Amino acid sequence: MSDRGILSSLRYLLADFIGEDDDTPPLLPEGLPEPVMAVASDAIHLLIDYQGTGYAQLYVDRLRRFVGKKGVDDAMLTEIARLMAARMSYDDLIRIAQLKLAGLADRSRTQPRSVDVRKFRLDELVSVLPAVIAEYVLDALEWAGWTHRNIKLRFSTASWFGILRLKIGAGLRRWRRYSVRYAKERVWVERWLHMIDRSLTRQPAAASEIVQTAAMIRGYGDVYRQGMADWNAIIDGLAKPTFDGVLALRDLAGAVAKARAAALPDPRQAALKRKIAEIRARVIADSYAGVPSS
Amino acid sequence: MDTSHLAQHAGTAGALFATIFVVATTTMKTMIPLRVFGILANVILILTAIPARNYLVMVVQLAMLLVNSYRLHQMLQLVRDVKKSVNSDLSMEWLKPFMIERNCAAGEILFYKDEKAEDMLYIVSGRFKLVESGIVLPVGAIVGELGMLSPSNMRTQTLECIEAGLILSVSYSKVEELYVQNPAFGFYFLRLASARLFQNIETLEKRLAQQTALTAEPKPA
Repeated sequence: MSDRGILSSLRYLLADFIGEDDDTPPLLPEGLPEPVMAVASDAIHLLIDYQGTGYAQLYVDRLRRFVGKKGVDDAMLTEIARLMAARMSYDDLIRIAQLKLAGLADRSRTQPRSVDVRKFRLDELVSVLPAVIAEYVLDALEWAGWTHRNIKLRFSTASWFGILRLKIGAGLRRWRRYSVRYAKERVWVERWLHMIDRSLTRQPAAASEIVQTAAMIRGYGDVYRQGMADWNAIIDGLAKPTFDGVLALRDLAGAVAKARAAALPDPRQAALKRKIAEIRARVIADSYAGVPSS
Repeated sequence: MDTSHLAQHAGTAGALFATIFVVATTTMKTMIPLRVFGILANVILILTAIPARNYLVMVVQLAMLLVNSYRLHQMLQLVRDVKKSVNSDLSMEWLKPFMIERNCAAGEILFYKDEKAEDMLYIVSGRFKLVESGIVLPVGAIVGELGMLSPSNMRTQTLECIEAGLILSVSYSKVEELYVQNPAFGFYFLRLASARLFQNIETLEKRLAQQTALTAEPKPA
């Protein structure tokens, strides 16, 4: 079809509703080292399946920032590529429905069809809706005090109704980029990359450890929220103050590793907060005594 | 004497005349002529509705006349302000009517380095710091005005709010919209952006000259 045709114009006008027009996969960033190519290529395919070519292009643009950057070797770049792909393909209701449907297509007919029951928090479910709707619903839930309520959802391929529900869930994909959750994840990835960048400038020895902190966040529901809270505690308590010059922590990598080891599945984060406070107190005491902090 | 047939003829002639203006309005490619022809069409339709006492048409056209007049006034003012800015202090204050207010809390990051730039910001109050260079921006500063025209469209630094304040923001798509709708605005906007760019180059050249002069100075024995 001609690029200047009426249908093409209509597609452009309604792009937000009917999805992307361009399905050309993005190219790997120029100068990408060979050992990273396989990981980056897999990530592009994963993100095209997850969201679309535009989203995969965003991944490539983000990865490009670290190609050839001082202090970033092949191993670190591979880890950035791998972990960024994992974080950009976060688990939400849409993704779980997508994977369940993909499993249905792959499975041989002799195998039984399955039912998964997953537990989500109500605000987590609402956050996959476009922000224009979700913001009002979240305000209403907040008002009613139902935001933290847990909801069990069935992801079933055992009946036509279950499959229909999965298809509706997976169909929300085209509006994912307008969702509240997408905006939060975008900010998170940018903050993680920003911390890596600052570490490369202020404390290059800690950069690998900062890269690895992305592995703290995974899954959905309580596991996801716990990981996110722990990550924020470590970055706000140790990494950012060090980069801002407020905390004279010389061995940031060691401190982050110790804090991560203290992060337990505890919603109150008691052990983690104690460890961070301990590290900070020691740094402040050492700086008064004139001893370099490790 | 029965004058109803006169009113009927006047109504038909007026409707025909108004139709010409409505058709002309739809053929306009840019915003100012479109609004002008829209206003003319509204006036004629109101005049033709008077003899027939068609109050519904009168009310609808009057409402449209007000909207068209307000939008035309806004456009003309915008072009005038941009033109004035090019010839004076190169300020971007004329964008304020098109901006959205946003409150920022201390510690909030407005954007990150290397992130795709999507809007320009105007600092109304509070304190904002460019993280990488450590520069604190003054109230009244505009951030990201050249990002829209740069090919890479990337933020060159991270902007952090260090003291709660208010900013105004306008998306690049809104500025693009104004640019496409209004060629005169587009022309002066380009001149303004180029002038700000030349101003930056001039500042850098001065700094370079100062630095060269400092290094060229003979060291005391």
